Amino acid sequence: MNSALLQGSLQGYILVALLLFVIGLATVLIRRSLLVQFMGIELMLNAANVALLAFARYRGGDVQGTVFYLFIIAVAACEAAVGLALVVALYRHRHTTDSDSADALRR
Amino acid sequence: MFLIFALITLLGALAMFRSRNLIVAGLCLVLCFLGVAGLFLLLANPVAAALQIIVYSGAIVVLVLFVIMLLNSHEEEAAAQPHRIQRWLGALAAAVLGAGACKAVLSSPGLVRIGQESPARVMDLQQVGTSLFQQHVVAFEAAGLLLLAAMVAAVALVKKEL
Repeated sequence: MNSALLQGSLQGYILVALLLFVIGLATVLIRRSLLVQFMGIELMLNAANVALLAFARYRGGDVQGTVFYLFIIAVAACEAAVGLALVVALYRHRHTTDSDSADALRR
Repeated sequence: MFLIFALITLLGALAMFRSRNLIVAGLCLVLCFLGVAGLFLLLANPVAAALQIIVYSGAIVVLVLFVIMLLNSHEEEAAAQPHRIQRWLGALAAAVLGAGACKAVLSSPGLVRIGQESPARVMDLQQVGTSLFQQHVVAFEAAGLLLLAAMVAAVALVKKEL
């Protein structure tokens, strides 16, 4: 059972996805720079992708999994563009990328 | 092979979490995404691996690095207030969630049952294209519209006067 985990069973992939998600979550919760937090969000999204495609493969190579992966990365690209534009706009107004110093809607 | 790619992924993610320099963090993120692409290859899914390399380690990370250089914020700024309790609570919450979920995965009989059969069928682009344009045409067009809207929104947010 333990060697199957190391050889790459379904549980192994789900475990990797889980650890990736937890690292991303810790990045968002602990780091202060908005750009690093953004990278953490991308990491969490990738963890979900790994889990999705692992389940798709163990359903006998389901095509729907890959199609949904396609849609997920389309949405992720949108999220990246808008998120980074928000960071740039925040920097224009307050000259900071620190999430702690941007905790009020107005000042 | 699985172990190698899993280690590349997790070590890249950890290095990103640890690094003080934002550029280094972005490069560690590239390493992590390449590891994920390797995992997709092992899952008999070269289409997803190619997409992962092109979109994530290509486009999105380059976008992030451009913004880091544009804003000239290579280092994390010094904290105004430390918020020490919140940081520790955040770390504790992440650790508890991770430990609980790992325990649930390792002791789940359902996952073992699903993971039993393993004749891998390699995903090819033709299957994906057929499914995409026969069953998901509306969603495909909606994704195109969403990309256009996001592009307009990004330009509108960043441009000084329209």
